[in-house]
Amino acid sequence: MDKTDNRSERLAMQKELGAKGERPARSLGISRRIFLHKSVLAGVGGAAAAGWFPFLNTIEVAQAAQTSFRFAWISDTHMYPREVNTRFVEKTIRAFKEVQAMNPPADFLIIGGDIGQLGNPVELELGAELLKEVKTKKVYIPGEHDWYLDMGKAWEKMFGAPYWYFDHKGVRFIGLDTISHAKDFWTIKKMTPQERMGHMATLDGTVGGAWAAVGPEQLAWLDRTMSSWPKDKPVVIFSHNPLFDYYAPWNFWVRDWREVNEILKRHDNVTSVHGHVHQVLYHEIGKMRSIGMLATSWPWPYAPKGVPKLTKCMVRVDPGDYFDGVGWSALGMNSASKVDNEYVMWRKDIYATATADSGCGDNRNQVLHPRLADAETPPNTADASRARTTEK
Amino acid sequence: MKLTRKNWISACGALAVLFLVASQAAAHKEKHTPEQLKVFEEVFLEQVRIGDLLFHGDAETEKTMGVQLSRTGMSCAMCHPFASDTHPHEFPKFQEQIGKFSTLRDMINWCIEKPNEGVKLDSDSDAMKALEAYIYWSNRGSKLEPGTH
Repeated sequence: MDKTDNRSERLAMQKELGAKGERPARSLGISRRIFLHKSVLAGVGGAAAAGWFPFLNTIEVAQAAQTSFRFAWISDTHMYPREVNTRFVEKTIRAFKEVQAMNPPADFLIIGGDIGQLGNPVELELGAELLKEVKTKKVYIPGEHDWYLDMGKAWEKMFGAPYWYFDHKGVRFIGLDTISHAKDFWTIKKMTPQERMGHMATLDGTVGGAWAAVGPEQLAWLDRTMSSWPKDKPVVIFSHNPLFDYYAPWNFWVRDWREVNEILKRHDNVTSVHGHVHQVLYHEIGKMRSIGMLATSWPWPYAPKGVPKLTKCMVRVDPGDYFDGVGWSALGMNSASKVDNEYVMWRKDIYATATADSGCGDNRNQVLHPRLADAETPPNTADASRARTTEK
Repeated sequence: MKLTRKNWISACGALAVLFLVASQAAAHKEKHTPEQLKVFEEVFLEQVRIGDLLFHGDAETEKTMGVQLSRTGMSCAMCHPFASDTHPHEFPKFQEQIGKFSTLRDMINWCIEKPNEGVKLDSDSDAMKALEAYIYWSNRGSKLEPGTH
């Protein structure tokens, strides 16, 4: 657990998370949807928001902003070859069709990683083939499930560079690669590519270590890319993993998130949009807002700790309904240069209104423990009996 | 016999002696040695380990045990990392998806049959016990709350 645990980093982050909510810059503003999100949250005791919530209330009225353009996010389709699992393919097709049918249309679609499940070129090709349904502009960032069979070769051939930026209607859009920087855990253990991929595909595995990162080279690039853009103009940054420490044992973070934040915090209007967590999530670090996206494939439970206090939790999902707790997002840049997000979840209820129906409320009496052993590691009973408790 | 104070004391004394003898006879077990306790723990943790492997879709373990827990590529852990959201401490209870009063084993089998489209286990099978061991072990410390939705 030690490798992924990074106790000191997480303690530092906890300090940050636990601080009173920083008053966001007036220029950051808050969209109507985010406002609604927070107003419901305050009703269920969002103490963190209390310091500056009334402030939002007044600016909200002034911001009945019209959407100036829209874009769409789909990620975490996790497709297997068609003959193994048709369920995920059906849901991917549904999302693609719905994006194509958006009215007014999306200016572009971002595919936020994890097209395939095990990096199999057959899975990636299936994704590319189905994506022909969407005629609008498409951009791509990788997920770990796309990458670690052949170290991104097939993905890059099909979908291009793993990080990039473009400017569109006064907004700088940045796609980050938070995937390709795992430390080599496979060579010394003489793993096959399939074994390597298997470990990377196991969310609660420890063999892959703290793999999610931006890396020094890309950080330098990000620094240059941000420096060449005015500080008050909007930036939307896409990444597969969240750009903060939510729950490192499941790699719900990037390990160099602080360096990323050092660069981003110089700007007044940054919105981070990320996948990987397969759940409704909302966070603010300084002036940066961060919005977690749904998967089309399946929802993850909320982690036992670290759920950002500003998150309005999604519903407990019915495991018998493949269309519950999943979907995609229709996003928009409104005339006040703020990002609106609409979760297109395929079942009616998105946010929980009662503890008994809440994905977070469901965790109120749940003490979890890290695994005894990964498949590659024989159990060590002495360690196991002292296993650290992960309290919520 | 008239129950005098003296007789009462004698009777109590006799009972006390009887209790001591009986309790000594019942205390036939040796004190547990640390080695014994270690063996008990190892037996348990081995089941936890097997359950962990099954829970994470380890093909080799499934083959060895002659079970097929999934035909969709999905494993239990893909929705339940660290066995989260399994809530073993809330069973038995009325389980909505099954539509009746259910045990944890009933729910494990429901997940195998429905979302995973696998072959359900005998309720008392080794694989079921191992899965149960892993799930309980991962959730230890959670407060017992049987019947909770």
